[in-house]
Amino acid sequence: MAEVRYYDIRCVRGEITLVDIDNGVIESAGTSFFDKAVIRVLGSKGWGILTRDHVDIDSKRELNALIEAAARLAAVTQDRLDLADAPRGVLPVPPLGEDPRDIDLEEKTRLLAGVEEAARVAGVGNTRARYTEGIDSVRFLDSSGNEYSYEAVRSGFSVLAIASRNGVMQMGSERDHITTGFNLRNKQILGRKAGEVAVSLLDAKLPKGGTKRAVLDPELAGVFTHEAVGHASEGDLVREGASVLGGRIGERIGCEGLVIVDDPSLHEFGFIPVDAEGVAVQRTEIIRDGILSSYLHNRETLAAVGNGVPGHARSEHGAPPIVRMSNTFIENGDAAYDEILSECRDGILLIGSRGGQVDPGRGVFQFNAEYGYLVEGGETTDMVRDVSLSGEILSTLHNIALVGNDRKMSPGYCGKGGQSVPVSDGAPHLLLENATIGGRGG
Amino acid sequence: MKGEDLIERVLREGERRADEVEVFYARGESVSTEIKKGIIGTAEESEAWSMAVRTVRDGRIGFSATSDPDRWKECLDAALASGRLATSQQWGGFPRPANLTSTASSSDGDLIVAVEDAAGMVADLLSGAAEHPVEVVGGGANLARSYLMVANTSGVLYGMDRTVAAVSLEAIREQSTGYEFDASPFRADIDARSVGEQAASLAARSLSGRDIATGRYDVVLSPVAAASILGHVLLPALSGRNVKAGRSFLADKIGEQVFDESLSVYDDPFAPGLGSTVWDAEGVPTRRLVFVEQGVLGRFAYDLKTGYRYGEGSTGSAVRSGGEPPGIGVHNLFIDGPRAKEPGDERAVWIHDVVGAHTANPFSGDFSVEISNPFWMEGGDLVEPIRTAMLSGNVFEMLAGIGGLGKDTRRVGRLTIPSIRLNNQQIIGK
Repeated sequence: MAEVRYYDIRCVRGEITLVDIDNGVIESAGTSFFDKAVIRVLGSKGWGILTRDHVDIDSKRELNALIEAAARLAAVTQDRLDLADAPRGVLPVPPLGEDPRDIDLEEKTRLLAGVEEAARVAGVGNTRARYTEGIDSVRFLDSSGNEYSYEAVRSGFSVLAIASRNGVMQMGSERDHITTGFNLRNKQILGRKAGEVAVSLLDAKLPKGGTKRAVLDPELAGVFTHEAVGHASEGDLVREGASVLGGRIGERIGCEGLVIVDDPSLHEFGFIPVDAEGVAVQRTEIIRDGILSSYLHNRETLAAVGNGVPGHARSEHGAPPIVRMSNTFIENGDAAYDEILSECRDGILLIGSRGGQVDPGRGVFQFNAEYGYLVEGGETTDMVRDVSLSGEILSTLHNIALVGNDRKMSPGYCGKGGQSVPVSDGAPHLLLENATIGGRGG
Repeated sequence: MKGEDLIERVLREGERRADEVEVFYARGESVSTEIKKGIIGTAEESEAWSMAVRTVRDGRIGFSATSDPDRWKECLDAALASGRLATSQQWGGFPRPANLTSTASSSDGDLIVAVEDAAGMVADLLSGAAEHPVEVVGGGANLARSYLMVANTSGVLYGMDRTVAAVSLEAIREQSTGYEFDASPFRADIDARSVGEQAASLAARSLSGRDIATGRYDVVLSPVAAASILGHVLLPALSGRNVKAGRSFLADKIGEQVFDESLSVYDDPFAPGLGSTVWDAEGVPTRRLVFVEQGVLGRFAYDLKTGYRYGEGSTGSAVRSGGEPPGIGVHNLFIDGPRAKEPGDERAVWIHDVVGAHTANPFSGDFSVEISNPFWMEGGDLVEPIRTAMLSGNVFEMLAGIGGLGKDTRRVGRLTIPSIRLNNQQIIGK
């Protein structure tokens, strides 16, 4: 048999419940089942990885056969990887306020219909709402004798409203996902908000693109944190030479007082009790007082790169673990929102997120706001739409002029390497100097 | 029991409790090799099995899926339970068996799902990349084979093989990056060495780009950039479900000149491609669908559910992804037209790719994205790199008046698309 320096197996068995309501029609409401296993073997050089459905983790014979097959795969690898020692331990999973499994599908559908209906304010022509619930039972064991199991429960929804008038179509959307219980009661207010935003965007202007001062709301500032700093601090990208933050530990890359953290132990949507390699999770300060201080690592990138904290390996069920963010945020500063707005004087206030993307090697990122307002003389004036912001990682953090004191976290999903995992990100309101704003207004 | 015997069992058991039952079944194997530090760091092999069940009773459609054959009963129960909640709708039944005379090939008999072959493709990628002074920071090769089957209680039982060969490479030189990829059902289509060389060339040649001032410029979107922007805006606008729900910019425009008269958009499921098939994900025979001909909007795409609901009939456009119910999509979408006007003759900003296309507004078509590997193009040649900039515009306005199509047609996922010249576009410099 080929050399086996280490192996682990991670099985995730679970259920996904989806309810989809489109313009008052219940398109689908039901539950599906999955049972995925990933077996990894570290051979004399690199990883051999097998993905299977429905593996009996308690069968020694089945496990041995899989390890042998993975070892044969590992034999074709050439890049010598080592695993750093890392602290072990599993945090307790947060208690569930209300267990979504105790609520029948009919009630979930009725509650979602209420949110969807609330979005149908005057002027809205189309509404759609989706409820998503995931119950994951995770089991892990490795060749070092570590073994754990836990259960993760996620529940949440999104709602979309589209308003149209004279051929102009605009959307408003809201979402809320949690790991601490059923999350669909008393949420009509978010439906209504999606509807109202869609309608008011019909009269919004297209902003003029260019360089200006920008105020980012906590949700968008969270996406900024995730795209502009988070990805580039991931140890796998640093190891491969694909991040502009490589080799910059100890360097000042942001303004004084700036603290940027990834913390998988927080009970936000990116919470994990233990990482996907069985390593204990802990708060990691990527940037402390403006200085790059830690990369996010798994065991392999910690051994290769150093300068950071392990416990950041995550995987979608049925996929191998890679270095990921979990709950990423900028710590509060001391500026009040009014002060930020008046200091902005003339610029733009950007609100909400339609997502973003980064090229960490080039150090360039882009993200899009749901809407915004022009700021004139320290006051918000006209509403604007379809506005995005781009920037360069190494200069952009120096451009943060003020950090607010009102941090808020927002849930979402992050894609990397074809895998999607639940995350949250957040920040207080931020004032950015010299922001590159994309918009097609004249 | 994992194959046809299980499908038969689910159909017979389900038939007793619903008017109709459908089973969609997929099994597959794949291998991939991933580059780390410029050599192979990881080798992966995957086997997957899945079954999706739909039940129909009194026009109420239920759905469930499982990746565990032992849970088929639970899956059927869940589908029936979900059907009890769904809103009842007009329904004319699952398709009956058809005499499928067309052919479509998305399977390569010579493709072997072997890790040694994938490793060989990585070696080719790397030898191509070695032509330029760059570091390889990622990429790999993937070979996959799957078997798909759809069966229903009206007697349909179709099966099909699919294969995929795919490669990608990511290179960097200082702070200049280059990414290239290719995927095809046919192993022989993939020139891994050339993909590696192209990625490395992009990284090497994009170094030391000059700033560009904010203003209006003629631009040329490469097939990759064009596919990225159009994929997020044009595809959803062609879906009959979005049209009927009032979510498509193109709704109510049938028969109108919506795009430049040199543009045609059609789905050809019989052309060789990643989505080639003679039956769709619901067992409906596929057909060639012309959505836009010489700029005039002709039709939209429908699946059974939306087709029955609005009296339009399915266009054989059902597709599936993951464990979700079937939805409306395209098989092999072509953006096509005469290449009379050369896109590169006059000076223009050539754009290889964009960052953040998924943030475009799919309803209005407005977008503003960061651009990747932009160059000044003169007489069809890339003459000088541009450092960085954003491109803002509106997809529907762009397509209404294009400056020409290039001769560099290329397959990007399920789209086959040439480069597109667009005049007078908004570029935001830094």
